[in-house]
Amino acid sequence: MARYLLRRLNLFLATSLVLFAVLFIVTSQFPVEQRFALTGIQSPSAEQIAQIEADYKLNSGKFNQFIAYLQQRLGGNLGISATSQRPVADELASVLPASFELAAVAGFLALAFGLPLGILASLSRHKVTQHTIMAITLTGYSIPVFWLGLTLSLWFGVQLGWLPISGRLNLLYEIEPVTGFILIDTLISSSPYSTSAFLDALLHIILPAVTLAVLPFTVVVRITRAAMISIMEQTYIKAAEARGLHTSRIVLRHALPNALIPVIKNLGLMLGTFASYAIVVEVIFSWPGVGAWLVSGIYQRDYTAIQGGVLAVALIIIFLSIMIEVLHTTMNPLSRKELYASN
Amino acid sequence: MPLLDIRNLTIELDTPHGRVKALERVSLTINPAEVHGLVGESGSGRSLLARAILGIPGHNWSITADRMMWDGRNLLEMSPKQRRNLMGGEISMIFQDPSSSLDPVISIGDQLIEAMPSHQNIPFWRRGKKRKQTAEKWLHKVGIKNTDRVMSSYAWELSEGECQKVMIAMAVANQPRLLIADEPTNSMEVQTQAQIFRLLSKLNQLQGVSILLISHELETLSMWCDQLSVMYCGQIMESGPTSEIVERPFHPYTKTLLDNIPNYSGTMTHKSMMPTLPGSAPALQHLPIGCRLGPRCPEAQKKCVNKPNLCHKKNRYFACHFPYHEEQCNDDSTPSS
Repeated sequence: MARYLLRRLNLFLATSLVLFAVLFIVTSQFPVEQRFALTGIQSPSAEQIAQIEADYKLNSGKFNQFIAYLQQRLGGNLGISATSQRPVADELASVLPASFELAAVAGFLALAFGLPLGILASLSRHKVTQHTIMAITLTGYSIPVFWLGLTLSLWFGVQLGWLPISGRLNLLYEIEPVTGFILIDTLISSSPYSTSAFLDALLHIILPAVTLAVLPFTVVVRITRAAMISIMEQTYIKAAEARGLHTSRIVLRHALPNALIPVIKNLGLMLGTFASYAIVVEVIFSWPGVGAWLVSGIYQRDYTAIQGGVLAVALIIIFLSIMIEVLHTTMNPLSRKELYASN
Repeated sequence: MPLLDIRNLTIELDTPHGRVKALERVSLTINPAEVHGLVGESGSGRSLLARAILGIPGHNWSITADRMMWDGRNLLEMSPKQRRNLMGGEISMIFQDPSSSLDPVISIGDQLIEAMPSHQNIPFWRRGKKRKQTAEKWLHKVGIKNTDRVMSSYAWELSEGECQKVMIAMAVANQPRLLIADEPTNSMEVQTQAQIFRLLSKLNQLQGVSILLISHELETLSMWCDQLSVMYCGQIMESGPTSEIVERPFHPYTKTLLDNIPNYSGTMTHKSMMPTLPGSAPALQHLPIGCRLGPRCPEAQKKCVNKPNLCHKKNRYFACHFPYHEEQCNDDSTPSS
């Protein structure tokens, strides 16, 4: 097992190195002066120029430049944002939690509703129920997320006026960011209106989270259903029945752990799509996360912000895919068998 | 009153080639505390019969029967829930394919403990420990020595024989009234086989467990069984007390089986042909009409395109138009499918 984890870590490092190399090459292709692209300082003074050239070894060969670039980036120096003049790393630290919060709530919704519905769809004997669930999930799967977001905010936000359609929290509330997760911050805040602020934050997150959850929800339903249908025909399920176990126990204890394996695998494959959907959703609902921040950076030709955003998002996706693979391996003893065989 | 009484059970399978009668009008009677052997080639529908008795049909099966009584109760009229209550407690089964009959993502110990009887008279906080002890006890009984290793491993980490022993432990732990043993020892070495058969016959003698022993080894079955049923291609050929069948088979198929048991006395020359019935068992989609043994039967005549009815002579049953038996049975010649 340790050897396996070491190999996954190695994969993470290698992929990250490739990512840095791509970013380095792209940075040199930006249609601006390289010094500006690397640091974000618009009009540097003479000392600053000397400092930049020393930091990034701009006068030596490409390889040395790459090494210096790696050193700077890994040391946490992502340059400063050209528009806000604040360090990109600080800005990332303030926008990343918002994105994590949105993604976590959306992922939770997708799993919490998708798994039971998928199981129900697989167990239902009625053709009508099955086809209805399949039709709904196929529709959800094929609806473009930008249209869905706009339509939901039009219905529930504008016409019905039930839910707020932009931001994370009403401007009335002033909550000190501690963790960066607004749902947690409002709860632990000592201000007298923390409960109402929490409810307000909850209302704010509903629309974007639901919009973002639709795609993974449909995928979870479909894969859970397909996996459950094939697993319920397996001999070990028949054998469990033959032991006289209750159906609910068979489903929850024997079939579901087996069905979760392909679900997790597909969630891992979907991470990239999920991230790009999250960016669109953040822009639509003005959610102050890394996606909206990255898009505004692109509009403003803020090259350091673009680099920082791409680096952060890509690193997170690489990390999470590898984590999901590790999770897949721990949940699936059968894949450990292959592991032993290959080593 | 027989424990299990089945009359004319037919199982039809929906296959891509249309509907096929995998089991055709099978009758089987099992009395309390008897060991009933069911012998047949692989593919003759023995496992289908076992699963139909237990009540775990596949999704493309349709089961019809004139009568299917379990201890005076009609199995056909029971709801799935009532059937499920019978399983495990009253009827249990040892599956043929042990390693795939165990859940691959749950450890053996968890599954075994799950199958152990719950002791309702013990306070609930001690039940878990008691069940674990029972599980270990049964593992010992089926011949597994290092119980800790087996219980903490997964199904694919064990050998087929070990999985089979675990399945046997699960099946017998609840002390059922009928134990369906579908090739219980096919992946074990000979000594362990004898041990398992001894365990089964001990259960049979001490606790009165009826056993339906399914196998293709006529010799083993004739050693352990009181009653024997011979199956070919989804039809019961002959059925009756083992000693009488072995002594004097009425059906050509049984006779061929008994005649063709290889003898190792050394009279056969090197590389000579083994005596067998000509031809091979037909595939499900190309079943012959009437008696399915027809095309291979040494005694077959024109009449054999009609399925012979099961004929009853004393305690023997056989389905043949031309049995090795003098008096004619009251065999009606009306065509029946």
